[in-house]
Amino acid sequence: MPDVQSMVAEFVNKLRKRKIEGSQATAKCTVELLRSVISHQRVPHANQAAALIDAVKAVGQQLVAANPVELAVGNVVRRVLHIIREEDLSLTTAAMAGLDLLDASDDDDIDNCKGIGYPAMSAAVVAAAARSTLRPPSLQTLLEGTPESATVPYTSSSGADSESKTADKSSLTRKLKHDVIEGVNQLIHEISGCHEQIAEQAIEHIHQNEVILTLGSSRTVLEFLCAAKEKKRSFRVFVAEGAPRYQGHLLAKELVARGLQTTVITDSAVFAMISRVNMVIIGAHAVMANGGVIGPVGVNMAALAAKKHAVPFVVLAGSHKLCPLYPHNPEVLLNELRSPSELLDFGEFSDCLDFGAGSGSLQVVNPTFDYVPPNLVSLFITDTGGHNPSYMYRLIADYYSADDLVM
Amino acid sequence: MWRRTPSFILDRTSTSPPMAADTTRAPIQNPDSISAYYQTRAAHHGVITSEWLSQAQAAVGGVSDSGDEHPVSSLTELGNEKSFNVIEEFNSWRKQPDLAEAVAAIRALAAVIRASEATTMMELEIELTKASDTLKSWDTTSISLTAGCDLFIRYVTRTSALEYEDFNSAKSRLLERAEKFGEISCKARRIIAMLSQDFIFDGCTILVHGLSRVVLEILKTAAQNNKLFRVLCTEGRPDGTGVLLSSELSKLDIPVKLLLDSAVAYSMDEVDMVFVGADGVVESGGIINMMGTYQIALVAHSMNKPVYVAAESYKFARLYPLDQKDMAPALRPIEFGLKIPTKVEVERSARDYTPPQYLTLLFTDLGVLSPSVVSDELIQLYL
Repeated sequence: MPDVQSMVAEFVNKLRKRKIEGSQATAKCTVELLRSVISHQRVPHANQAAALIDAVKAVGQQLVAANPVELAVGNVVRRVLHIIREEDLSLTTAAMAGLDLLDASDDDDIDNCKGIGYPAMSAAVVAAAARSTLRPPSLQTLLEGTPESATVPYTSSSGADSESKTADKSSLTRKLKHDVIEGVNQLIHEISGCHEQIAEQAIEHIHQNEVILTLGSSRTVLEFLCAAKEKKRSFRVFVAEGAPRYQGHLLAKELVARGLQTTVITDSAVFAMISRVNMVIIGAHAVMANGGVIGPVGVNMAALAAKKHAVPFVVLAGSHKLCPLYPHNPEVLLNELRSPSELLDFGEFSDCLDFGAGSGSLQVVNPTFDYVPPNLVSLFITDTGGHNPSYMYRLIADYYSADDLVM
Repeated sequence: MWRRTPSFILDRTSTSPPMAADTTRAPIQNPDSISAYYQTRAAHHGVITSEWLSQAQAAVGGVSDSGDEHPVSSLTELGNEKSFNVIEEFNSWRKQPDLAEAVAAIRALAAVIRASEATTMMELEIELTKASDTLKSWDTTSISLTAGCDLFIRYVTRTSALEYEDFNSAKSRLLERAEKFGEISCKARRIIAMLSQDFIFDGCTILVHGLSRVVLEILKTAAQNNKLFRVLCTEGRPDGTGVLLSSELSKLDIPVKLLLDSAVAYSMDEVDMVFVGADGVVESGGIINMMGTYQIALVAHSMNKPVYVAAESYKFARLYPLDQKDMAPALRPIEFGLKIPTKVEVERSARDYTPPQYLTLLFTDLGVLSPSVVSDELIQLYL
């Protein structure tokens, strides 16, 4: 336990100092950390799932507080919580299916959850009720209310009879943890493989002799374009340089190295060049529940330009970037202001910036992110395929549980 | 001859009323009668005009007539008593100002279950379906009534699919859920209020149209959370909702300003968001609400202001209006204060339809939804 604490503290430190760059790397590190937390967590015999959930939530709250702007952290914490709930549910339904068989046959001391003595309620009812608690609330379940039977799977049996029961419990415990860790490993695999999954779809969207516009530098976009290039599509790329970090220059270098014809333009030239462009492809930092996109600063401008000239605006995002929260005031709350030294040289402007002398009144604002409202986005390409912005809520309902939204 | 609308419901009602050949059904509301739903709302708001009073009395007389017609023409042995009771029961619940329409409907159907002598689920379902059809045809203009009935019937049919060997336990469970629905409705309002708190920030100006109890709950909760905001209320003729809402809000010390309905565009630039309730949410994601909502949504959309709708999930209805006139007409009397010459027509519709592209988000007890989610939910329930 203590070494898990130190791992958590170290990671929190890294997050606070913004030492980890990129949402994919952050997401992977977070999931790996949570995996260690889960495997080191000692769970009680009863309510193992609840104990795991509490442990993960506690760590998750610390991580999110360390870097609230990096939404991928919160996303994967919620994914892990959802995995725990799902595994627990499938175990209990399997247990009850076992119980059903047992009731049909004779009740021997078969080493199979016999000890969990449920009242005479049909297994199907309980399963249905438990299923409904896991899915987000819907019109179908509106009248069913909160089924008390859902708590029955959680509370272990009261009348403890034999040692076979304790053997059951420990095997159940191990099973749950094992399943959860398997699920978490699958999540890590998914996060690592998101670039390939997205790049596979490139060939459907990029056609011969097209002109693509992109902004800044995103590894997803790079892989996407190169995949299309490998499938023998010939197209041109305009890269907006993405001031003040000028990461567009790096992207342009990479693209040229892979043999793509590239043109570098300034951010201010986007509107001028947009009419000669067939498609705008952008990598997102995060995608919000309403379909809005948080991207590097300048994408809102590109999106507005694309809308004005009816150019499709495509956003690439791995599933770890899907955030179940709604953006209220994202320009302020989900943004980070970086050092003004990236914009201005301290030496030249020192007299304007000097507030002490009384003459200084120059302020420099250097936001990192931009918010694009959902009506400007034409298509989202995630590792599961291409989707409409109005469909994002559906993916979010699949990946996350409603109880985890507020941690 | 002036009508150029493509909607066919008008043609149907104007050209072929005798098409309602089967007399076993309740009489279709002819276009000149008053919508009972809006009558009840007006009663809740305490708006009584002399014209309303006389027409209400006439309508009540008409109802008892139609109520008497029922048992005569009904061929089933399901009680003349039964069908009359359902409507009476429903009306008695509906009169309570704090109760949602769908809750009243479900309570009425619960009364049917209680009084039923059926011994199998199928029989009970048939009785319920008949009662719900009676209710629906008695007031075709109320969407939450239709939606509430449909929801309950779906729930009943699905409950019977679960393995309850004992009919009596199933029946008592249905009764219990029906009784609980009132609580669900209140809980729904609280959930909606909680979800919308983040969208109200300090120093914002909210425009409200109509007197929705859900929106009132939202504003009350925001005031209790010590948020600083002010509210612009439209006057809401002819219901006078603006005055009522402003008196409620001023009790909570929220700064309120009353606007004429025509002053909305004038004040829209100082507004940060628009909050409205809904009489019904239709399949396309649009809403049916008090007359004037469409206008306000159009103005807000053109000025890039978000329009938020607060509606409970049981108001989702399987309707898909193609234009403003594509719904069952819901008329209500309008006082102008002066005598109108008889040759002058008055547009008496009580509600309009706001298409989904003008709405930003819907706050429901199922969560914060974008308008496209509504059809998904409905499909899950009905298919």
